Amino acid sequence: MNTASLSLEQTPPFSVPFRFFFTAPLFGILASLLLLYDGPAILSHHSYPSMYPNTIALTHLLTLGFITMTMFGAILQLLPVLAGSLIPFPVLTSTILHILLTLGTLSLVGYFISHQIPILAVGITLLSLAFLFFIGIMAYCLIRVKGQSPTIHAMYFALAALVITVILGITASLFFMGIRFLPFYNFYNLVGLHFTWGLVGWVSLLIIGVAYQVIPMFHITPQYPPFATRYFVPTLFIALLIWTLLVYIYQPLLLLISAMFIVIGLSFFAILTLYLHRKRLRKLPDITLKFWQMGLIVLLISVPIWLVSSVETWLIIDLANFAYKPTYSISSGLFFIMGFILPIIQGMLYKIVPFLVWLHLQNQQLSQANIKIPNMKQVIPDKLAKKQFWLYVAAFILLIISLWLPQFIYLASLGFLGSFCFLTFNLFKALQVYKITSQKLRESCTK
Amino acid sequence: MKTITQVFSADHLQCNQLFAEIEEKAYKNDWQAVSSEFAHFRDMMERHFNIEEQTLFPAIEERTGQTSGPTAVMKMEHQQMRQVFDNMHKAVEQQDNEEYLGLSETLLILMQQHNAKEEQILYPMGDQILGTDVADIIAKQQAG
Repeated sequence: MNTASLSLEQTPPFSVPFRFFFTAPLFGILASLLLLYDGPAILSHHSYPSMYPNTIALTHLLTLGFITMTMFGAILQLLPVLAGSLIPFPVLTSTILHILLTLGTLSLVGYFISHQIPILAVGITLLSLAFLFFIGIMAYCLIRVKGQSPTIHAMYFALAALVITVILGITASLFFMGIRFLPFYNFYNLVGLHFTWGLVGWVSLLIIGVAYQVIPMFHITPQYPPFATRYFVPTLFIALLIWTLLVYIYQPLLLLISAMFIVIGLSFFAILTLYLHRKRLRKLPDITLKFWQMGLIVLLISVPIWLVSSVETWLIIDLANFAYKPTYSISSGLFFIMGFILPIIQGMLYKIVPFLVWLHLQNQQLSQANIKIPNMKQVIPDKLAKKQFWLYVAAFILLIISLWLPQFIYLASLGFLGSFCFLTFNLFKALQVYKITSQKLRESCTK
Repeated sequence: MKTITQVFSADHLQCNQLFAEIEEKAYKNDWQAVSSEFAHFRDMMERHFNIEEQTLFPAIEERTGQTSGPTAVMKMEHQQMRQVFDNMHKAVEQQDNEEYLGLSETLLILMQQHNAKEEQILYPMGDQILGTDVADIIAKQQAG
């Protein structure tokens, strides 16, 4: 074993993950504004939602602007710390990635609002570069990783799913430019695959991998059983691959069976994690725990909806003359993104951000013991985080109601707008605490 | 035969259990119990740090010929935790529940990410490179 290059203290500079964390809620605000502007149209656009530009714009504001944004930051932070694998030129790398992802997302969304092909071309180029660069960095770090863990193991699969998602995404965007690849004879199949590989593949596999590490850590629960950490992620990945092939071979029964594997896998993960939560030693009220519980419960509800939507898309579209009412695909997307993934990410931010603020201040403190470093709950007070959580829950409930009563969408989008503004405020409060304390430390150093 | 990973990780688990019990008592403002149990918790942690710093880490450093590597980082994190202990001790003395819980949240994450790195990287490395010394180190840990 080469230990010469093994160093466990590889916390990247403050700005590396934080630029991503602070940008994400701003995209949440943009998404809420779009939802508010578009109102019931996004939900009531029953014929071909994957063709309705504002639905695509909204989805990407959330999946690229919020989800991928925080995941880039978290991976750049986590890989060096947990895997002992250093990211080359961390500040430069994160600056480039952040600019490419931010501008790329804005351009892509801009296209769906303006319908100007050149904007799409710019967006796809920037995003392709961002993902190419990110995939390269992540692969480079994963190859050089020291020590294997179920989390690292899951990251390999999540990365492979990301590669597939990106290829499908680029192919879908070429459709809009009039370039069509033969294997993707059906645009809805292509979009369905892109959606599922992105959310079930890349994002969910990564969440599962991170859960193996953080659930026992944050709440002092028993470890995930070895059968889970060994088989969950590979089984889901293989089921996704088989499912993808079956979409093309068109075998409805087999398609349903492979989709069932995905549903059972994700549900089992949710139930097992909720069970571990119940067994936790740390019983105090905890905002991260609440966000996780919300996410897991909604995951349990959203997988059956996804199952219906996936079968609906493949079966009904191909049976040509059926009246197609893809309410299920809209609902599964809303449940999955707004109810499962976003809460979990927000819950994680409430642990990661205060801890990193504390850690960076602590590292600056050195010998100036006279200046007090604020503890985690002083960086973001529980009270504020709790209020933001309940506002988010209320907005989500309003969103569900609006599936039946479309006018409620205005209230829901106002709720999300308030909640994302609140999240932005909480994160910037943390930044302020960091800056003020850091300034004090520097001043006392020069005295 | 037991491994360093097994024995030292089991020690982490015991410390975690006690940590959670005290935190809950602090939340309920049961300061009498907190004050005696916190002292016990701190002793347990110190004992664990000391065995690592005096026995396990030097053995690893000797084998790898590297004193500024991962073991140095682990020692630095021990120092960081010791600082948090000091502040927690003050909070216990002042029966300041808000301060205690803020510090215990901070300690938890600091401690857990530290433990994860030891359990996933450093201890397995020790088991791999220390050969026959493993049994000695475990004996010292258990005699403690």
